[in-house]
Amino acid sequence: MSTRTTARQGRAGREVVAGALLVTPATVGFTVFVLVPVVLTVYYSFTEYSLLSSPRFAGVENYTSLVDDPRLRRVYLNTALFTVMAVPLNVGLGLALAVLLHRKMPGVVRQFARSAFFFPTLVGLIFVALIWQFFFQTDSGILNYYLGKIGVGPVQWLSSSAWAIPSIVVLDVWKNAGLAMLILLAGLQGIPPDYTEAAMVDGANAWQRFWHVTFPLLTPQIFFVTTLYLIGALKVFDSIVVLTGGGPGDASRSVVMYVYEKGFKSFDFGYASAISVTLLVVIAAVTLLQFRAARRWVSYD
Amino acid sequence: MTRLRARVGATAANLILVAGGALFLAPFVWMLSTSLRPIGQSLTLPPKWLPTTFDVSNYQALASQDYPILRFMQNSFVISGLSTLGIVATSAMAGFAFAKLTFPYRDILFGLLLVSLMVPIQVTIVPLFVIMQRLGLVNSEWALILPALLGAFAPGLPGAFGIFMMRQFFRGIPDSLIEAATIDGAGKLRIFWTIALPLAKPALASLAIIVFTLSWNEYFTPLIFLSSTNEMTLPLGIQALRPPFGQGSSLVLAAVAVALLPVLIAYLAGHRWIVESFTRSGLKD
Repeated sequence: MSTRTTARQGRAGREVVAGALLVTPATVGFTVFVLVPVVLTVYYSFTEYSLLSSPRFAGVENYTSLVDDPRLRRVYLNTALFTVMAVPLNVGLGLALAVLLHRKMPGVVRQFARSAFFFPTLVGLIFVALIWQFFFQTDSGILNYYLGKIGVGPVQWLSSSAWAIPSIVVLDVWKNAGLAMLILLAGLQGIPPDYTEAAMVDGANAWQRFWHVTFPLLTPQIFFVTTLYLIGALKVFDSIVVLTGGGPGDASRSVVMYVYEKGFKSFDFGYASAISVTLLVVIAAVTLLQFRAARRWVSYD
Repeated sequence: MTRLRARVGATAANLILVAGGALFLAPFVWMLSTSLRPIGQSLTLPPKWLPTTFDVSNYQALASQDYPILRFMQNSFVISGLSTLGIVATSAMAGFAFAKLTFPYRDILFGLLLVSLMVPIQVTIVPLFVIMQRLGLVNSEWALILPALLGAFAPGLPGAFGIFMMRQFFRGIPDSLIEAATIDGAGKLRIFWTIALPLAKPALASLAIIVFTLSWNEYFTPLIFLSSTNEMTLPLGIQALRPPFGQGSSLVLAAVAVALLPVLIAYLAGHRWIVESFTRSGLKD
């Protein structure tokens, strides 16, 4: 910075112009399509607003209705249930696969396994849900066929309230664990082998080496993946639309599906915005909590 | 003894990986096999995982006038292609400015962008719909393309992601390189164009593949903004035209197979590179 002295003020001025030019498109886009919508969401949530009328200030009316809305409680419980199942399973399976892959092995095995586990991540959730609906059918489904062979079932995967959300979790883990695997594998490869070798010399067994040496060094990546999957899970939508449509009843309806229903089927923009605000608060709170907790268990050295 | 045990363990682990990998790919193989059977034989049990016939009648039905899959595909290509172009261009520009230039409000602006990564589009969808309506863009592909050309978001991805990724990349370019070019009299825009951008080609390509894949797969935003069949993208159109379950099942699977084709081809052509791109995208240093 010391080079930038008074003699270079003209240059610094031109740098400001260059900077302004380069960030202008993104700043305009960000303002119109991100910042303004956030502000408007909050504003609309305090109005009565439908497709045919303009927004009319209604105070906290939408929020008092929210408190008494049993369906809101239902969709939040569903989303929470999905999240607490999907996130640990995704991260856990991703970690297990990453550890299994981070060994000496024939190149063909490594390449095949890595590609196979990762490929579903690249395919749209709508597409894979359309395939998986055939696996989940009660009478003609492929899963129940094999379960029947070992005397289990038939499980009503999609048509019972007990199994609807677990089924969506199964699809989610199959589709998404591969990305967690890749990110965690890259993390493992970034750990210098000296650390685990030193522990081996000290007589630590494989489990001790993993738990006391590798795992602490991997916490930044685990934290990142967990945050990524947490926010993703709170937005769950596509797979439920295809597999259960939110049913039976509201048994698998998610928060975003409820926003969609209120906003774009009933065109109750005010109420839909109020639900959106609650989701925004939940996502912000979860993220902040994550970051605070991370200070305790993530080690960055 | 312990060496024998270690070898048995390693072999078992390899077997688990191969078997598990095959299990993960099985749904795709079944999809392809079933799409190659006549419509009446799509749901036979026990399931037939491998092709039993090579009947292309489902694909012929898709190509007929009744099922506008070519239209969907064209819409998907236009929206994903232009969105990718927009996000890559704006991310490169803004990323370079945030990494290497000094200008007023830089850090505040960048902080706001970072915070916006926490605001999913699902949360602001009502006002976005209203804004698009005012702009006259509802039921037009431009409702999806315009925000990407301005770097705000692509279908399925916040624009701030690209800006953040490119900023991280440009920060890795040594300041001395920029200083040297400055002393030679080059302006910052020229340095961006002639020095930084060529160096950033691999990172830009990674970003492009990520944006394209996510836009290609996106369902939520097209669902909100596009309503007529003529404007629909592949995920939206295939889901909207889905026949009642059981009827025409293998037709749906053929449509999904067609929709997967570009992803599959890209993956086979450059899977090592794609794996690298997605891995890097997840890693903030």
